[in-house]
Amino acid sequence: MRASRGWILTILIVTVLSLTLLAPTFLGDSVPSWWGKLFPDRGIRLGLDLKGGIFLLIGVDSEKGVEQELDSIKDFMNEELKEDKILIKGSSTSDDSLTIQFFSKADLDKAKSVADTNFNEISDIGEDNLSLSFHLKNAYVADVEERAIDQVKQVIENRVAELGLVEPSIQKAGDNRILIQVPGASEKDRQRIIDIIKRSAVLEFKIVSNTGATEETVLAGLGVANPEELEDQGLMLIPGNTGAENEKFFVASADSQVTGESLSGARLTFDEFGKPAVSFSFKGEGASKFGVLTEENIGQRLAIVLDGTIKSAPTIQERITAQGRITGDFTTDEAKDLALVLRSGALPVPVEIEQERTVGPSLGKESIDKGKISMIIGGILVIIFMAFFYRLQGVVADIALILNMLFIMGFLSAFGVTLTLPGIAGLVLTLGMAVDGNIIIFERIKEELRTGKSPLAAIDAGYGRSLWTVLDANITTLITALILFWFGTGPIKGFAATLSIGIISTVFSNVVVARIITNLIYEEKKVPAISI
Amino acid sequence: MELLKPGTRVDFVSKMRPAIFVSIALIIIAIGSLIYHKGPNWGVEFTGGTEIHIKLAKEVSIADIKQTLETTGFPPDVVQQLGLTGDHEYLIRFSPELVKFDQIQDFQTELENIIATNESFKGGSIQRVDYIGPRVGKELIRKAIIAIILGCIGILIYVMIRFELGFALGAVIALVHDTIITLGAISIMDKEFTLALVAALLTVIGFSVNDTIIIFDRIRENMRKSGKLSIRELVNEGVNQTLTRTILTSITVFMVLIPLFIFGGSVIHDFAFTLIVGAIIGTYSSIFIASAFVIFWRERKGSS
Repeated sequence: MRASRGWILTILIVTVLSLTLLAPTFLGDSVPSWWGKLFPDRGIRLGLDLKGGIFLLIGVDSEKGVEQELDSIKDFMNEELKEDKILIKGSSTSDDSLTIQFFSKADLDKAKSVADTNFNEISDIGEDNLSLSFHLKNAYVADVEERAIDQVKQVIENRVAELGLVEPSIQKAGDNRILIQVPGASEKDRQRIIDIIKRSAVLEFKIVSNTGATEETVLAGLGVANPEELEDQGLMLIPGNTGAENEKFFVASADSQVTGESLSGARLTFDEFGKPAVSFSFKGEGASKFGVLTEENIGQRLAIVLDGTIKSAPTIQERITAQGRITGDFTTDEAKDLALVLRSGALPVPVEIEQERTVGPSLGKESIDKGKISMIIGGILVIIFMAFFYRLQGVVADIALILNMLFIMGFLSAFGVTLTLPGIAGLVLTLGMAVDGNIIIFERIKEELRTGKSPLAAIDAGYGRSLWTVLDANITTLITALILFWFGTGPIKGFAATLSIGIISTVFSNVVVARIITNLIYEEKKVPAISI
Repeated sequence: MELLKPGTRVDFVSKMRPAIFVSIALIIIAIGSLIYHKGPNWGVEFTGGTEIHIKLAKEVSIADIKQTLETTGFPPDVVQQLGLTGDHEYLIRFSPELVKFDQIQDFQTELENIIATNESFKGGSIQRVDYIGPRVGKELIRKAIIAIILGCIGILIYVMIRFELGFALGAVIALVHDTIITLGAISIMDKEFTLALVAALLTVIGFSVNDTIIIFDRIRENMRKSGKLSIRELVNEGVNQTLTRTILTSITVFMVLIPLFIFGGSVIHDFAFTLIVGAIIGTYSSIFIASAFVIFWRERKGSS
């Protein structure tokens, strides 16, 4: 391998590229805004263990889950009894019990038998006068509550993962809380994370009956005096935020035939005016339900309700099955985040942020400072040792080593890897292997010199013969690293990520960078001896 | 500059048989310690619970700390010294059953009170408070073990393709040997097995494989060049030819690890300890386990 222009140019390009990728790490927020469009604008991210981050304690209203469970029992009974033409007189819920009133003893008896076959396992069923009561068993209540928390945790995990933040920590804490720690989040990220986590993202589709600028006008248009009267007609009042001043309130069907649960995907798009919007698509059953809903209501307006507010209400032109679009007054970021929360699913129960603070590094600030200093001491010792032991070649190795560090850091920042202690362990291993690689090559050159070869021939033979030694050692480790990355989680992944990037960069700096620098020094000269 | 006189030849092969007994003894001690201690001393990341790291101004005995803390109404599960004796750093651990998440704040207030008033705690500080929900870590360890086993299979296949089966088995046996003995050392010293140590152990595995391959490569080269020599001579030649490199690389490795071990502070200290043990064992096993296995494999094949 000669020090050809091509190789020198390659090394220069990689160096400049690494420095460019690292600019945000050194300059912080002072990088210009157009930077983010071309390059990653975040620099190297440090993990919770090294830098700390934000800490959010989220309270989960798991009792709401029990309420929903009772509602679904009521709905089930209603549906079942409808087939037998039995009407429910009324119902009420409190804590973990549901009471349904009937008009006659015969109805009650029939209902009791339906209840016994379906809900005996999960609740104590009792009758009193003309009412049937379901009292959920304690174990079942606990189960429902736990499931609600697990679901919330899953949804939050999906959402945070989609934000592209590596290695956040999300865990259950106590009976009805979730603890979220996100590493090194900036002020800008912080608000976004909170917004995304809190978002219920309940998406519903309803048919619009009337609209108006105020509550009174919209009710008057239907000839009702108050919102309660709407309920009897299976309708409800919903605030709207579609951007139209004369449509601040809507009346629409109380039931939603199709909800966000049937979505198969959602993404950012732009409407015909170039404004940000969110397009969504349905899967299987959801698509056919949506088809029925739109087919039956052609010419009517379809309300797209997000978290209790109507975002848009387009007129249905034709039967729609697979695709739809939510337009509204979004910025691009808002639309992107909305698509994200829709994709990751709705929170099954409401959540509330109970505590929010920034936390220090979990390894302890002092530990990190001490670790940093000792690493620097170790690094300097190795650099001095190499220069002392191998003279000029040692200096070449040192330059290659420092460039190697630069490349690794640059690529870590390009891939958005969050650096944690395990990641640093991976880095220590690679740099150790880099020094080892240099030693292997230099010892080989010395051996070749001893056989009487000329300096240039010895360099050639030394690099040539050690090439596969260095490659085999690095490839074996790389294979392990890739497998660890693929199958490992959390810290194992972090270790494997830096190790993989590190090995590739190390092979490049051992085999190419050090070689080219050496050739630049000795090539084309009649050298009597090499400094090694 | 020359470290060893060129042509230096140490007879490693004759020392391989006694070395095997040393290794077997070390493995028995390691496994014995793991059994005696009922497995690794899992850190809070794996067991779940609350972990509080404190730094005091002077040396206080573990028993005293335990006794003082019991007055708070939250008797700790484990109180443990962290780092070196002179650091005066301690780890207080509660199982998730002992202190519920809601009570951590109360305990922290109590602890701050003690630090402010108690004579032996004066001048101390709380370094960090960690709460980890249960069930997080078990999954992690399970996945890590699967990943490592698959990693070994990857090594086995690559080395088999590039070298031959005997080398591949030798490399993996040396790797398992190094992992068990390093785990044993962690267990004997009763170090808390944290995520940092998982990372250290992975590093040891990487180091072990790298070191083994370097020597193997030289043995393979010798086999191609001078096929007439016996496998014992070929291996001994290879180990000797790479001896300078082995020593120099070890020197640079310890140049980094020893400052970390001494000045690294409590957490890094245990991390560096694991790496130092692993580096020593890894270097030793490349010669006395991996290379020895290559001889064993070749001779067995030769005789059959």
